[in-house]
Parts: sequence; C-alpha cells; structure tokens
Amino acid sequence: MSTASTLPPVHQYEENTSRGSAIGAWLKGQYALYILLALLIIATITRGSVFWSGTNLTNLLLQMSIIGVVVLAELIVVLTGGIDISVGSALGLAAVIAAGLFGGPSIWLALLVAIVIGGIVGAVNGWLVAYRGLEPFIVTLGMLALARGLVYAYGNGIPIIPEAAATFASFGQTTIIGIPVLAIIWIAAIALIAFLLYRTVWGRRVYAIGSNKEAARASGIPVKRTLWSVYILAGLLVGLGGWMFLGRFAAGTSTAGNLLELEAIAAVVIGGARLSGGYGRVFGAVVGTIIFTVIANLLSLLNVSTFLQDAFRGALILVAVTLATVSFANSRRRTKAATETATDSPASSSTPAGQS
Amino acid sequence: MTSDQHGHDPTTDPQQTVAFRATGVKKHYPGVKALDGVDLTGYAGEVLAVCGANGAGKSTFAKLLAGVETPTDGDIMVAGYPHPVRNAAEAEQAGVLMMHQEPLIIDDFTVGENVWLYKLRAGRDIRPWAQKTNTNSQRTREVLRGVGLGHLRTTELARGLGPGQRQMLSLSRAAVTKHRIMILDETTASTSEEHFNDILDLVRREKAAGTCIIFVSHRLNEVFAMADRIAVLRNGRLVDVVRAADSSPDDVTALMIGQALKALARPAPVEHHGAPPVISVQDLYGGSARGVSFDVRSGEIVGLYGLVGSGRSSVARTVTGQRQAVGGVVTMRGERIKLSTPGDALRRRIAYLTEDRRLEGFVNDFDNGQNMSLVVLPRMARAGVVNAGQEKARVKELIRDFQVKGGVKTMTKSLSGGNQQKVVVAKWLEADPDFVVLDEPTKGIDVGARANIYEIIQSVAARGKAVLVVSSEAEELLSLCHRILVMRNGKVVAEFDPEHADTDDLIRTALTHQD
Repeated sequence: MSTASTLPPVHQYEENTSRGSAIGAWLKGQYALYILLALLIIATITRGSVFWSGTNLTNLLLQMSIIGVVVLAELIVVLTGGIDISVGSALGLAAVIAAGLFGGPSIWLALLVAIVIGGIVGAVNGWLVAYRGLEPFIVTLGMLALARGLVYAYGNGIPIIPEAAATFASFGQTTIIGIPVLAIIWIAAIALIAFLLYRTVWGRRVYAIGSNKEAARASGIPVKRTLWSVYILAGLLVGLGGWMFLGRFAAGTSTAGNLLELEAIAAVVIGGARLSGGYGRVFGAVVGTIIFTVIANLLSLLNVSTFLQDAFRGALILVAVTLATVSFANSRRRTKAATETATDSPASSSTPAGQS
Repeated sequence: MTSDQHGHDPTTDPQQTVAFRATGVKKHYPGVKALDGVDLTGYAGEVLAVCGANGAGKSTFAKLLAGVETPTDGDIMVAGYPHPVRNAAEAEQAGVLMMHQEPLIIDDFTVGENVWLYKLRAGRDIRPWAQKTNTNSQRTREVLRGVGLGHLRTTELARGLGPGQRQMLSLSRAAVTKHRIMILDETTASTSEEHFNDILDLVRREKAAGTCIIFVSHRLNEVFAMADRIAVLRNGRLVDVVRAADSSPDDVTALMIGQALKALARPAPVEHHGAPPVISVQDLYGGSARGVSFDVRSGEIVGLYGLVGSGRSSVARTVTGQRQAVGGVVTMRGERIKLSTPGDALRRRIAYLTEDRRLEGFVNDFDNGQNMSLVVLPRMARAGVVNAGQEKARVKELIRDFQVKGGVKTMTKSLSGGNQQKVVVAKWLEADPDFVVLDEPTKGIDVGARANIYEIIQSVAARGKAVLVVSSEAEELLSLCHRILVMRNGKVVAEFDPEHADTDDLIRTALTHQD
C-alpha cells in the first residue's frame, strides 16, 4: 500500500443502503405480487363473500398445495436452464401406482411408492439430460408421453381406488390448527427448497450451472452430478405431489396431473424466474402458484365456462411474460448505468495484494 | 479544457479535409458522465487513435460517432451529411463504418455471404427474383486475400473460424462498402500478432483511399504502429491530442492514467535445492499439443508463447484438467497424476485461469462475493450448509486485498475487464493452488489493471508457487517470466532466457514454418 497515497483513490461503493430503500427496491421488482393484489381486489369486489369464505379458502389451499409442490420441482429444473414438461404425467403415474400397487393398503406405503416412482422418472430424465447431453425439452417431452401412456395402461382408463381410500380421504381433510395437512406439507417443501437453494453449496452450484455452465465446470463444480441431482429431487417432489393428489381425491384417475406442466412452468415464469436459467426465487414461484390457483378459483366462482377459463389462463401467461420482459429491460438499463459507474474512474493502480 | 483545446492542438490543420467534427460532445448516463464535453476533429486520410483506460469514454465516443447512441449534448457532424447523425442507419448513409469489438459474423452463413453481409441486408437482394450478389466470385476471393484470409473457401460456413479469422472476415467488408470513416473498436483485442500486419495493410489501403480511420485501443504498441494522431481520453474528457511521431508510448500511458507507470521489476531468480519440480510434463498429447515436455519449479514463472493454433492453450487446458490428455505423463512433485476434470485439478491444487473470461471466468448472475467464493465454497461450509458470515467476511477481505472496484454485492459482469480479472484471480488464488496456469491474463485489460495483475503474479511466485503464463504478447512474457517456451505446431521448439532475447526472437521462432 506504500504507493497508494500518490494514486487516484479506488472507487468506493456504498455497501450499506438503508433498509427502507432496499425494501422499496425489492417491491419494485415484485410485479407478480401486484398481479396477485389486483386479482384479490377483483375477487373481493365481484364475489367477495364467497371468495373469502372459510370453505373456499380451504379449497384454495388444498388446490395450491399440490400444484405448489410441482411448481417447486419445476423451479429447480428451470434454474439450471432446463425445463421439465413431464411433471404432470409423472404425478399421474406416481398417483395411480401408489393407489394400485399391492391394492393400496396404507397411505404410508403409498407415500413410499409415489416418491420412488417420481424419483425414478426424475432420475431417468436427469441421466439423459446430464450424462447423455440431450435437450431437457425433448427428454421430458418423451417422458410426458411415456408416463401418461403408462397411466392409461395401468388403470385401463378407470380410476384406481386404493383399499385405504377412506384413510386417504380423512387424511386429506385433516387440519392442524385450521390449516390442512396438505398445505403444511407444501409449506415444509417450500422451506426445504428455499434452504437448499439459498443456504447450501448445492444451491449455489445450481444457480452457477444455470447461469453459466462453462464457468461452473471450469471452477471445478461437478456439473453432471449436480444436474442429475436436481432432476432426481424434482422427481421426488413430483412423486410427493402424486401422493398428495391421492390424499385429496382418494383415487388415482387417469387424468391426474393432466396439463399440470403448463401451470407449473407458467407459475415459475410469472414468479420471475428466467427460463434460460440462473435466475429465480422461491418466493416468486410461490406467488406464481397462488396467482394461478386464485384465478382458476375466481373464474369458476364467476361461472365462466371451463373452455374460456383455459383461454383466460393462457392470456394471463402472455401478460405476465410480457411484464417480465419489461422489468428485465429496466434492470438491463440499470445494469448499464452501473457498468459506467463502475468503470468511470481511471484504472487504479496500486499494490495488489498477494498476501491472501 | 474544452474550448481552448483546439487552440493549442498542434495537429489542427486547416488544409486537410475534415471527415468529422465533434463539438462539445457529452454523454451522460444516469449518475455517470461517460463523456463530458469532447471536441475532436478527424481528417480524411489519417489514422486517429482514441486511447484511454477502461471506462475513459473511448468506446462511448466510438458509439456516438457510429450513431449507435446519441449524445446528451453537443453534436458530431460527419462531412457531407446535412445534420448530426441520429441513429445507426443514418450513420451508415453518412458513410460511417463501425467494426465492433465482437465481430458481427453469422455462423450459419458462408464466408462469402459474411463478406457481403451488409449488401445482403440492404433488402433488395432478399427478394427471390432479384439478382443475387455472387458471394463466391473472384471479387470475393480478392477481398478475402486482402485481409489475409485467402486460404479460406468462400463456400465454407463461418462457424468453424477462430476469433482472429472472424475479426478479419468482418474487416474484409471495408472493401465492399462505401465509407468515409472507419471505426476500429478494439479490433485487435481478439486477433493475435499474426493478423496485425494484415490489419496494417488494410488501414494503409483505406488511408490512401482517403478514409478517416478511428482506432480505439489501449494497446499502445499497435497504436504507435498505426496512428498519425493520438487522442487521449481520461474520465470522459479529452486530455490531449498528440502526433504519434512526436510522442512515445510512455508519454501516452502517462496521459491515460494521469501519472507515469513504474517499470515492472525483474522477478528474483529462482533457487531450487534439488527439490523435484512442482509440475513436470512429459510428452503431453491433447488438442493441438503433440508431445510437449516441460517443468515448472517452485517460485518460477514460466512463459508459454506461440501463435493461435500453436497448441499453447491446449497445453494449458490439458495440464489443468480442463480437457483430457490423450497421451503423456504429468507428475506433480514426483508423483504421477491423472486429471480428468477441473475438479480433479482443484483437489491437486492446480488452478487454471481462463483466457475467455466472459464464458468461463465468472458466473454472470453472481455478484463479486458469490463469484469469489465459488471455488472454495465447500471449505466455507459444514455438511454442505454454507457459513454465510464466514463467506461474507472472507470475500470482503479479498475485495480489499485485490483492490477490486465495487463491493461484495456488485455484479461482476458490470465491472471493467481489469476488475473482472481481479475477481477471477482472487477466486482461484483463494484456493491456494501450488501450480497456477494463467491463459492470456491481461487480455482486454488496460495498463493500470495490467500492472496490478503482473504484481499479483509475481507475488504468487514469490510465495513458492509454480506459475505458467500463456500469452500471445511477447513483450509481456519477456518482462514477467524467468523462462519462456515457444510453441509451434503443437511442440515446444525453443526456450529463451528473457535476459538474452527480444520480441523479434520470440515472434520469429513462433512463425518459422519449417521444423
């Protein structure tokens, strides 16, 4: 540092922005929250009394929980820059086999079976993507057809009622201090995924791989192994979702999880995740899940025909994605300004430090 | 500094034809003054170099001239065009040809189509019934020969070209477009010394044809080989315009950074007391390396020089596990090792600092802290759970030690090249490697940061580590290394002692075609 005094000062950064402005900046990016808020206001104005009733809210929570777990699975795959469009079929497969294997005598056996099935599907997807270098879209497209075909073949199109159907039904309706057990499972899954992504080495590697696979590899990260683990974890979550489906409907229907991939991907994107990977938050994905469930609920409360409901949902995806590009464009502009800031003072030449 | 600049500018010459005139040009981004009142005139038939450290505003100036961005205040008049250009299309009409730092090459087009790209883009030729530009003509081949690409077939796809060839291919368009002003924005950053003569020839031809050439660069040896006048920018202001013939690289460096740069001290000689070399490579094959052998001892900085394609990067990548060796033996402190992945190398305390910083050096969506801890994260974790406090504290120290501009939360991609490189260096040195390979460590980095990087490299060697520096800049290796190996056709063909060798020796050895 001996020469430092004669040199231009190193550009110092304001590291500690005040808490208030940090929250303000955070709120600026949360356009998904505003969509949700708008939806809730519309719901209150149009069907307020029905919408906010206890039964409807419980119903909403139950619906959200199953989709929500699948959205989490989709999120971690999307973070790596991949996509999983087989989640719906895999959920269906996990549900029917868990209901039908050994006659479905116990919900705990069913849990094990569902998770194993989901895990196997995820492991196959992940192995093909990570070790064979195939496109996630094509791999999971094949898996979508394969798993759905197996679902139909397994039940011949007839719903499979497990022997323990009554236990499933009562489990699905169990509440703990007023909160359905399924919702608690969902919340636990959110906490788990958030912990894994934000607090562990694994999570950091997932983001690194999604953002820049070459840099991750060059930095000594086991890219293939990490990718595989992501797909397996996603599969386990989807299997869990299949078991929760049984808890809710007490039967494995052949349409279980149909088109769920659409909602899962849309919820992840509305939640602000980038489809090319490397960027996305658990909180956003949760908000995306809530938005999707609320809109479906609201549309049926408003007696909109089921066909139009799909159209509405599609339109919502388009609007949300457009909004996302607007916000990205803004952040790009900000980044650019920051670039100029960061480089604006002359090269600081000073003794470097090798004393690390 | 702005208005009287012209008064004492020795090179304002009323007898020359003005090609463009910038008056009071300012470009302000939110919170930043990239350019703050620049007056500069360019004349037909001259090469005007625009120099400055990273962030001095030289690229901003080029963008304004090319109409890619519009000035906040002031204007740039291009001779023969009625009003200041407001966008890239108008700039093209006015005859401004911009050669971007990242050459605009379409991978799926043939070499010939890429030469004529701007013509194809003009719209007329897109209609199926229109007469097409013949992209495989004699004329196309002549144009390619003019930039030293005569050996390429016009019908092959541009995908397979190396970075230098891509840059030259984009330069070939100068021959087929009408223009008064040609801007070379850091054009030589991705080409190696072998292409430089082709660029010089091209510039000479353009000059003779009366083009005003703007050469934006911070490679001063090239600037002095090419330019007639040199405009030096610092902090968005024009510091001075000097005539190349009356100035020297040291003068211009001093103008660029506002002070004289102290010369790099020669590295202390290495003493080894019969200990085995840290790394010893025998008959290594892999990529374009064909039977390479060398040793690097503790405390030694060894340079590896060669042209693009000589196998220097293949060697660097193979001995660090970035790519698999096809044959040969690598021993570390006498123990034979096998490296299949970068992870293996990391466990053996071998680090590789990539030449492609943007692609492999750091993670785009990570801030400085996350990037710096990426390699050593497992050490900051217990049972896979990161100790966030420990990580943050360590990263703060690293940012201070390595003089990285910006904080822990600053996105690495928003930094200048030099600071990005410091982040990458810090990230690897934090892993405390015993053998460090640096591939083009100062590529695209300005003089100030360059000195930082050199000093870091020397201090690493001083701590007893073995260092291999791969570079295409002979001068850099001569001042930095204890020994220099020169590669040609996949083999090490010569070893030089920097005390008794000069740039010419290295280049000549690297260029000789016969073994």
